[in-house]
Amino acid sequence: MNDIQSKKTNNSIANKSKKNTKSLAIWTGAWLVSLALVAFGPLLLWDYHQTISFTAITLNLVMGYKMIMVNKQHLEDLDELQQRIHLVAMAMSLGVSMIFGAVYGLLESIRLVEFQPNPSGVLFVMGISYAVGMVLAHRKYS
Amino acid sequence: MKNRFKVLRAERDWTQADLAAELDVSRQTIIAIEKGKYDPSLSLAFKAAKLFDMQIEAIFQAPQST
Repeated sequence: MNDIQSKKTNNSIANKSKKNTKSLAIWTGAWLVSLALVAFGPLLLWDYHQTISFTAITLNLVMGYKMIMVNKQHLEDLDELQQRIHLVAMAMSLGVSMIFGAVYGLLESIRLVEFQPNPSGVLFVMGISYAVGMVLAHRKYS
Repeated sequence: MKNRFKVLRAERDWTQADLAAELDVSRQTIIAIEKGKYDPSLSLAFKAAKLFDMQIEAIFQAPQST
């Protein structure tokens, strides 16, 4: 058994997961840096020069596409239970974000708040609800 | 669905990690199957049957219908 196991080590699900997680971390970091460049570059680095801003946005979209593809590969290489856990978390995140986003967008128009709702608030809720979904699904199957 | 994963694994003196490596799944999946908290897919069930050299119905038992 140990011999067979050692032969399988290179292709094991743990190794694939480790490799994919590292790749995902790198591309997510690259996407975040490119997003920061789009957000702060015009003011701090190139004085709102439109061509450079368009270039930075293009770079950000390319990084975003790569991050999505790496995440897709990461999910495809998980085993069936891990995929189900992510599916539960995604369903929870999508539902909560949709419900929160819909009512959050109405807050100003119904005069409950004075400020313009910021879309990044929905991203925050999406992240938190995904994390909560992962914890709940892990607990369900362990 | 009930299964005999734990018994069959113990009979062969395999750890959960050994079985997980053989079936190319995570140890968490083996734990969940052994505890009856997760029913494996048909392809994983066939893989387990081949590994244990048994018929699927000798490893998995469907719940009794009333």
